[in-house]
Amino acid sequence: MKIVATRDEAPGVRTMRLEFQDPLELEKFKQAYRTGMFGLYGIYGEGESTFCVASPETRNDYIECTFRKSGRVTAALASAEIGDLMTFRGPYGNRFPIEEFHGKNLLFIAGGIALPPTRSVIWSCLDQRDKFGKITIVYGARTVADLVYKQELEEWEKRDDVELVLTVDPGGETPDWKHRVGFVPTILEEAAPAAGNCVAVLCGPPIMIKFTLASLKKLGFEEENVYTTLENRMKCGIGKCGRCNVGSVYVCKEGPVFTAAEVSSMPQADL
Amino acid sequence: MATLLYSANLNDCIARWREEGLMVFGPATTGGVSGFQEVKDAGSLDLDLILTRSTLKELFFPRTEPMLGYRIGKQQIETEEFRPPEGRRIIFGVRPCDAAGMQVDDALFDWDYHDEYWFRRRDSSVIVSIACTHADDFCMCTSLNLSPDSTKGSDVLLRPLLAGNGWQVEALTERGENALASISSLLKEGGDPTAPVADVPVKFDLEACRSWLADPENFESRFWKEISERCIGCGSCTYLCPTCHCFDIQDEGDTYKGIRRKNWDSCSFSLFTMHTSGHNPRATQSARWRQRIMHKFNYFSLKFNVNSCTGCGRCTRECPVDMGVTETLQAISTLQR
Repeated sequence: MKIVATRDEAPGVRTMRLEFQDPLELEKFKQAYRTGMFGLYGIYGEGESTFCVASPETRNDYIECTFRKSGRVTAALASAEIGDLMTFRGPYGNRFPIEEFHGKNLLFIAGGIALPPTRSVIWSCLDQRDKFGKITIVYGARTVADLVYKQELEEWEKRDDVELVLTVDPGGETPDWKHRVGFVPTILEEAAPAAGNCVAVLCGPPIMIKFTLASLKKLGFEEENVYTTLENRMKCGIGKCGRCNVGSVYVCKEGPVFTAAEVSSMPQADL
Repeated sequence: MATLLYSANLNDCIARWREEGLMVFGPATTGGVSGFQEVKDAGSLDLDLILTRSTLKELFFPRTEPMLGYRIGKQQIETEEFRPPEGRRIIFGVRPCDAAGMQVDDALFDWDYHDEYWFRRRDSSVIVSIACTHADDFCMCTSLNLSPDSTKGSDVLLRPLLAGNGWQVEALTERGENALASISSLLKEGGDPTAPVADVPVKFDLEACRSWLADPENFESRFWKEISERCIGCGSCTYLCPTCHCFDIQDEGDTYKGIRRKNWDSCSFSLFTMHTSGHNPRATQSARWRQRIMHKFNYFSLKFNVNSCTGCGRCTRECPVDMGVTETLQAISTLQR
């Protein structure tokens, strides 16, 4: 695939837009890709890394991925330039059942670098806005600098059909920060979105997920109406290499999207 | 009357198969280490071994295997897909537990995505197994509902003759029949008695173990820490297991040319499940040993309806700290009482 655009989102975090070189490959991707799926992105000589497809199924002429530079492969991806070629395998995994969300209110909750998978669902729903009720987005990061997709956050803030709640952890605010300060679960409870006829999509680091699930429970959300993605280490993407196992589930095949009820039935220590 | 192959004719059999373009593999020892190697004559075979140290698995799922090559030029990237080598093979002298192991992994490699790397080799191989007449203290096939003369995963089963001068031959699959057809003139009819199969005592109650493992209450049991305290995480039990299949994908080379490879990996290693963020779901050796046992006797059987262990005992036989599956399942059996 060719890198056609790049954008720095936050310190060490970059978004790349990729286009298929082969029209047949593009067509195969368009047929297969649904929001929630992931891919293996690579640079020859450095290896492959797993990220979600951050762009929505409603915009499937290209792939966008957002990643934090944290190892050998992501360092190589971060230093790749527009026009460079890279590898992509996928799309793999399951999807968010967006059709089942029709007619419902939607609550999106994301923490830090977990906005990319959430963003894929957000845009899939915003691109067919009339099919959903109220849309609330709660997004938090450690510091103002760590917020990703700043342009899109501004865009969502301006829309009158989206309620955007932004927060940064205490101490992460800047003098001109006009939004909330506090941890996501606390801010979520303050915002108190109604649980009735509402589906929640929750992505974040394991510790945030744990506490946010407790907050959602307090707010009256049933586990069946809360969707999340598991971010286990995945390598093959096709259920063979063995490392993404949680109980008898192969996250790369049967996930990464699960309801909170499904996650609850898994061995928690392996998450 | 049964069909017999006398040891005196084995060399001619190998020659006949080789003349037909088949590669012949069998247990052999090089540099003190036994494994399955290509052989040109019967004299190279080490058929008295109870088990080779390395497993049959390596002939289907190599320790390291190139998947694609790349060459980066100024304007373009050239890639070359590597496919498993062509060529039909006879693998002679396999033990039933190893053959059964291949059938266990068939389920995984055929699940959803049909893995060509595995099945190209599987489909071009004939497995000729020899029933065991000897076992050692580590053998435990009977504990896994198998037996020293199990036919699972074999195309031909040979039963040693009591006189020690050959085998009674039984084709189990069409592939096996074809392999025997090409040596038909070397096979004899006869009523020679076969040797009794090895006595392998049952060492644990598998069903009791499975029910203990399936109970979520036991996932956080102190048992796991106690049973695995001396595990050093070397991974040898996984590498020597006929059914372990975990792998990694790595690039080898530089910016200009190289190879993307599939390499064996192990759930015993701490980095196996480490997230990029530093979070490791299985951060302790006891959590990793629990995963290994759970995967083999609970998760794999839930998904594929077969245990991912065939009782070869290599995990215990070769463990540097004398641990192994047997000890753990025996201990779980005790917990049941």
